[in-house]
Amino acid sequence: MQTNGWQFPVWLGYALLCIFWWGLWGFLSKIGSATASPLQMQILFTFGMLPVAMGMLLHMRGKVDREPTGIACGLLSGIATGLGTLGYFAALRTQDASVVTPLTGVFPILTVALAFVVLRERLNKIQAGGMVLALASIVILSF
Amino acid sequence: MHWIIYAAVAIVLWGVNGLLMKLGTNRVSARSMVIWVTCGFVILLPAMLKLTGLAGLSTRVVLVGLIAGAVNGLGNWAVFACLEKGAKASVAIPLTALYPLCTVALAMAFLKERPTGLQWIGIALAVAGGAMLSYELAPTKSPEEQLPCVQ
Repeated sequence: MQTNGWQFPVWLGYALLCIFWWGLWGFLSKIGSATASPLQMQILFTFGMLPVAMGMLLHMRGKVDREPTGIACGLLSGIATGLGTLGYFAALRTQDASVVTPLTGVFPILTVALAFVVLRERLNKIQAGGMVLALASIVILSF
Repeated sequence: MHWIIYAAVAIVLWGVNGLLMKLGTNRVSARSMVIWVTCGFVILLPAMLKLTGLAGLSTRVVLVGLIAGAVNGLGNWAVFACLEKGAKASVAIPLTALYPLCTVALAMAFLKERPTGLQWIGIALAVAGGAMLSYELAPTKSPEEQLPCVQ
């Protein structure tokens, strides 16, 4: 298929914004975890998310989308992230972070595989190469 | 239980979560997803509070933790908005997983941490990988969609 070349997509702006917010979260977690346990930090994170959710609710004037599958995906997403984090902390109890963190950092491989099968998403060759480099960097930066 | 089982649980749940995020934003708005995901986190709160309390933590640490949670929530909104605006899960999830790059930059700026040689390699790979992942070519417009060329 012919193409018009590269244009800055709207979604990329949000992805960069996400990297900034999560990067700041990682930085603050680093400061907080000096004295609080990972589980205590996770509890504080959950309480901290509440004002953001409340802000969204107010901004939508209480009209939250109530499509059942969407609700199920949202709830399961929160539960899966939380339980996954608890699993990560449990692994850290008996193994060093320098081993566990680079290993768990490869989780996007599973998302890509699932998106390939379930959503029939296909990456172009450049993106596939980018994914390999991104995974390598995640592993290296986790040490 | 062996640590690798716990690590595998984390990989599977986080990996499946990437798919759930895309499936969810296909059906409800990014802001609604933030609300439902937060509800999912809240469901786990009683179990976590049973395992540990917050007694003994300094006000400063509590404040840092709460702000970190709020910032995490804003990051969640941004990734949902990214998926809502058409990003593939297989691009958005690996791309946003590069956030440690920003953490390293902040630690360099504010904690005066200096990356090791290996970390510099990781930073370079993250920048190159991120740029390549973002390389989504715009489809060609059909002749009817194209604006007439003014001579």
